[in-house]
Amino acid sequence: MIKVSNLSKSFHGNLILDDLSVEIEKGDVVALIGSSGAGKSTFLRALNCLEQADKGVLDLEGFKVDFSTITNKQRLELRKQTAMVFQHFNLFQHRTALDNVKEGLKIVKKMNDREAAQIALEQLEQVGLSDRAHYYPKHLSGGQQQRVGIARALAMKPKLLLLDEPTSALDPELVGEVLQTIKKTAATGQTMILVSHEMSFVYEVASKVLFLDKGKIVEEGTPDQVFNHPTSERAKEFLHNYFRNKTGNQ
Amino acid sequence: MGEIFDINAVFTSIPRLLEVLPVSLQITVISMIVGLVFALLFAVIRMKKIPVLSQLVTVFISFIRGTPIIVQLYLTYNGIPLLLKFINQEYGTDYNINAVPAMLFVLVTFAFNEAAYNSETIRAALQSVNKGQIEAAESLGMTYLQVLKRVIMPQALVVAIPPLGNALIGLLKGTSLAFVAGVIEMTAKGKIISGSNFRFFEVYLALAIIYWVMTIIIEQLLRYMERRFSIPDSAQAVNRGGWFSWGRRGI
Ligand SMILES: Nc1ncnc2c1ncn2[C@@H]1O[C@H](COP(=O)(O)OP(=O)(O)OP(=O)(O)O)[C@@H](O)[C@H]1O
Ligand SMILES: [Mg+2]
Repeated sequence: MIKVSNLSKSFHGNLILDDLSVEIEKGDVVALIGSSGAGKSTFLRALNCLEQADKGVLDLEGFKVDFSTITNKQRLELRKQTAMVFQHFNLFQHRTALDNVKEGLKIVKKMNDREAAQIALEQLEQVGLSDRAHYYPKHLSGGQQQRVGIARALAMKPKLLLLDEPTSALDPELVGEVLQTIKKTAATGQTMILVSHEMSFVYEVASKVLFLDKGKIVEEGTPDQVFNHPTSERAKEFLHNYFRNKTGNQ
Repeated sequence: MGEIFDINAVFTSIPRLLEVLPVSLQITVISMIVGLVFALLFAVIRMKKIPVLSQLVTVFISFIRGTPIIVQLYLTYNGIPLLLKFINQEYGTDYNINAVPAMLFVLVTFAFNEAAYNSETIRAALQSVNKGQIEAAESLGMTYLQVLKRVIMPQALVVAIPPLGNALIGLLKGTSLAFVAGVIEMTAKGKIISGSNFRFFEVYLALAIIYWVMTIIIEQLLRYMERRFSIPDSAQAVNRGGWFSWGRRGI
């Protein structure tokens, strides 16, 4: 089980995460939704210390860290046990797809080249990119780059996978292949937190939905509960606006 | 009196000038390497905004950029003996001012000159590496040194090679000023030769040809390095050996 307790973070005196607590079961696919600026990215980034939280405790299947007193060693260990998929892919531009996936295995997990290559190739196959293993990122489409990003993260066998709007930088016709990959990953039982504005996908894939507003979780439950029977005014308003815009655009 | 232009004098001068080519190259290579080490140090000091040091470095760089190198050579040439004299007086030591090799003045001046100019290049190159990639590396669990070595440096290098290459070429030509401190490198040797055979134009023409050829060779080397370190234009990566294939052996 993964437990986040009393997580807080402020930027320049503005409280962005306000004493958040979340519990996640192993294998859960948690979707984090909310309007722009709600603090979704900050939440994910605080979980693997890309952003230093002011306070809060994380219990990652028994590995415990207190963010207010975290040591360098704990930070590295925490990052080893989590993995992140970024909105803008953030692939290492000077390395091929294969080398991108191998990087963490070799440098962080200290695997030898052969082992790393084997795992990396398997992982690339999982995301359907074996034939692009020796391509540099600049020669891959956005959707392919993001799939490499997912392979790079999964290769580390994280206890928790964090995905921050993995499809929002993609052209519409490339969104599908990445969502497909995420869905496939979810089916393997990978525990993950997904920030996404793709509500129908969230509805389909999530086992649990969190609605974040002004640094607080104001709605929490199954997709059916949150989407069809929201109780808070903010969630009702947000979903109403979302679906109205959606139909308005068609 | 011989002919107006003696082509033979050009050809006979070339080997004599080449005798001291190693001196010119020595100044170039040592100053560049020492200069780069300090340049990196200066760049990091300024990037990390280390108090006091950062301000000192800024003033130093401004001073070096704002003064001619020949004046800097004169300053070192006359300043180091003064410094030694002062140390001898204050601490009762007995350093022999005349025993300081002329080459040292030249190396110190050129190295710090390069450091000042190149630290800006290095700073810009390090900062040009996309922050997202650094975060991606950190999120994998890499230490800062690993990130520096695996992600930042290789990409910064590609950005830095052309300007550093220009600096290297400038430095090679700049070594012609070393005579100011009494070091006999190629230009000084040219002065000596022409002073004895009075074929000034021919000797300097020979000298010019040597500098030019050296510059062309360096340019070719740089172009080769740039190609090698940059991401290939064709989609399928060819195994090029070299730095980027470090991690690709065995596949
Ligand atoms: N490094 C930072 N410095 C200062 N303020 C920041 C920083 N990062 C985020 N913020 C602020 O924190 C708030 C939450 O930002 P965050 O990126 O977490 O929102 P989000 O929910 O991910 O939004 P979006 O849907 O637009 O990605 C915003 O008001 C943002 O301006
Ligand atoms: Mg965000």
